[in-house]
Amino acid sequence: MKWLIRRVLKRGKGAIQYEEEIHFGEILTIGRAANQAIFLPDLRAALEHARVISTGKGKYRVESLIYAGVRVNDHIEQQANVGSGSTIEIGSTRITIIDPPKDFEAAVEVGPIDKDELKARAEATKLATTLGETWLNKRRFSWGLLALFAVLGLALPIFAHYQPGFGDSKVVRSNQALGQSIWEAGEIASPHHFFGQDCLQCHGTPFEVVQDDKCLSCHSKTLAHADQDQFQLWELSESRCAWCHRDHNGVEGLIRDDQMLCSDCHKDLSTHPGVTTQLTDVSDFLNDHPQFTVSLPRWDAQGNYAPVREVMGGAPLVENSGLKFPHDVHLDPEGLSAPDGRRVLECDSCHQEEIGGATMKPVNFETMCQDCHRLDFDIQAPDRQVPHGNVAEVLYSLDEFYAKRAIEGGYNDVTAPVTVRTRRRPGQEMTREEREQAVAWSRQKARQVTEALFLGRACTVCHTVTVEPEAENGPWVVAPVRVAGIWFEKARFTHAKHTTMDCASCHNAVGSKSSADLLIPDITNCRSCHGGEHAQGLLSSTCIACHGFHQFDQPLRKRTEL
Amino acid sequence: MHQTILNHAGYRYFWFAILLSIASLVAYIWHDPVGAPNGGSWLGYTLGTIGALLIIWLLLFGIRKRSYKTNMGSVRGWLSGHIYLGTALILISLLHCGFQFGWNIHTTAFVLMLLVIFSGFFGVFAYLRYPHLMTQNQQDSTRAQMLQEIAEIDQAALQLADTVDKSIHDTVLQSIQRTRLGGGVWNQLTSRDASDEAIASLRRSANDSRKKKSSTEGGQTMVMMVDYLASSATDKSNENLRRLIDILTRKRTLASRVARDIQLQALMEIWLYVHVPLSLGLLAALTAHVISVFFYW
Repeated sequence: MKWLIRRVLKRGKGAIQYEEEIHFGEILTIGRAANQAIFLPDLRAALEHARVISTGKGKYRVESLIYAGVRVNDHIEQQANVGSGSTIEIGSTRITIIDPPKDFEAAVEVGPIDKDELKARAEATKLATTLGETWLNKRRFSWGLLALFAVLGLALPIFAHYQPGFGDSKVVRSNQALGQSIWEAGEIASPHHFFGQDCLQCHGTPFEVVQDDKCLSCHSKTLAHADQDQFQLWELSESRCAWCHRDHNGVEGLIRDDQMLCSDCHKDLSTHPGVTTQLTDVSDFLNDHPQFTVSLPRWDAQGNYAPVREVMGGAPLVENSGLKFPHDVHLDPEGLSAPDGRRVLECDSCHQEEIGGATMKPVNFETMCQDCHRLDFDIQAPDRQVPHGNVAEVLYSLDEFYAKRAIEGGYNDVTAPVTVRTRRRPGQEMTREEREQAVAWSRQKARQVTEALFLGRACTVCHTVTVEPEAENGPWVVAPVRVAGIWFEKARFTHAKHTTMDCASCHNAVGSKSSADLLIPDITNCRSCHGGEHAQGLLSSTCIACHGFHQFDQPLRKRTEL
Repeated sequence: MHQTILNHAGYRYFWFAILLSIASLVAYIWHDPVGAPNGGSWLGYTLGTIGALLIIWLLLFGIRKRSYKTNMGSVRGWLSGHIYLGTALILISLLHCGFQFGWNIHTTAFVLMLLVIFSGFFGVFAYLRYPHLMTQNQQDSTRAQMLQEIAEIDQAALQLADTVDKSIHDTVLQSIQRTRLGGGVWNQLTSRDASDEAIASLRRSANDSRKKKSSTEGGQTMVMMVDYLASSATDKSNENLRRLIDILTRKRTLASRVARDIQLQALMEIWLYVHVPLSLGLLAALTAHVISVFFYW
């Protein structure tokens, strides 16, 4: 086999010279040894580095003879099958297999590799020695993260604001990172959960605080704190709902309960410009809350209930409930003589809470008193009692009772005429005279019994009864009674929150000999447990523990610009 | 006293940061907001403003350190402040939010800020510790000098190997081809000595080829040469082989040192690939935080 070995020699200034030699044999040896077909004077070449074997027309096999291998077509190989145009590189020499010219069966071109190319290759294969040369890129990462959070945190939520339909899409709704939920600083209060993620229900114009019209679109029956026509204060007219009702503070955080809410104005309300008030300045329950003002029962000249408000804490107040009732007697621990034996009364024998505990139910004579305080009136009919609570009905009932006795006869009373005492047979008629006698007796008897009841043994035990012939429904006038009711009109005391306490803790009923004693405790009693917001060692109680901002007796709240 | 980024100007920024932290803490304890402490109270807004301004100032460090002509104080002073005020920012932001967190952009900004700050802590550690280690490792040389020496050793080793035996020349040639310093991020950070890798791959290929060819050719350069030395005949080649082993040992020491140099430099830089991009992410999240709060006031 005849090989052409063409050496390319560079002779400076770009001049190139070729030297050609002929090699005979099946194998073309390459190495640094002198006996090699292609001799390479390069330390990077082994003595016998590689060989090229012709395997057919235009086909060759390159074999490395050393373990370090040989670079064939830019890959280090131990063995490779190649064709024309392939390159074999050892050190800085490149051997290119070329198409054999005429008269040759195989041909190679041997030449130096261009220095620039070697340098470029060294650069290209050089490993990174600083992080800057690796895939890490601060600038790219920075822009990436900047863009990510700008899109998620700003662009998408703002887009959702102007395109409300965007938030309705399933992807956005199920993904908290998309849309406006990423803005939600805190959970909204429970009552607002039903409109969930619809921010625009409350938030309107961007960069504007939440406006009252958004609140009032649902809460249209909100009452005012004070009459805004009478008290033209910006605190009442211009303060927003959200000033007190701050949402996004968790499920229970919608109502402000701090003392400052009220004391802001009330600490110096009396000197507030433009305010004339009967209210005393207050800033803290323990420190400067005024003594309680209690509503005591009174009735005006027409008999209408018109309570008077009296300040407590001074001389003992007299309660005019209209009832004579010594608590000490009724609360005798030994019990009372009742028809069925000794009976020990407890507070709740008479005082029972309304459902909800806001007030006490009125004391009921029939169920609570009548067992002992019977309204019977005739020894011959011990089971009959007059009705309670209505004078006219008492009179009717007595008139009717004795008229019936007179007419039926057989009434066993020595003061009664014979006609009345005589039992008549059925069908036996009375004479006119007998009837007149009987009716006259019955009227007189009824009058006697009435007088005995009203002035003697029944009504006056508990009630004050006056005889006023000129009165509208006279002559018997029973003073009106009020036992249970609202004592503190401006506060919201509830027994419901004090059910675990003993009644005597607050109400000194056991020691009360007269119903004129006011058994409603004053502020001193409350302060034994309750203090102001920052009280030490006491239950922290702020204003709204007892008082409401929105007053039930005020008109609807409206927001006006003063 | 030696001035460092920590004790710059008599711990000026340390005391400033301490003062700022104490003032914030005292205000927080004294403050009695409506409801739980939160970012919406006046103190919340105040601390938030301070925090945001601090973040902007901390970000400006990236610009300051590139501005060589500025007269706005030394970079060391800026860095000292950067470290201490950045640390104080943790407390200020916690007090700002009143320790309220949620799955939202606000807490995202906080978490990003923490990641930036804690990666910065590693940076402080790196800047205080690694330059010294680098100097120690380089032993009055530079990386370029070491690499130059390695290249020279390679050349000399080939010449020596040639005088010993062709199999030794082959092995040395492989060793040169496979000595590669540096590499990917992980290789740089873990200082995986590229020559170790070369030897490992040599061993693997040796095992493979032994299985295939039942050859003892290849193997670890040193072992191979020592084996050869034991069985060698001529004194002359023995002498050369000893010299070859000497210079290859020297090469190995140099290669390890270069790898360590690369590792230390990578450790000095790697945290910045977290610190800088996250701080830009924080800038976006912070902007979103501030705008969103006032967008839906």
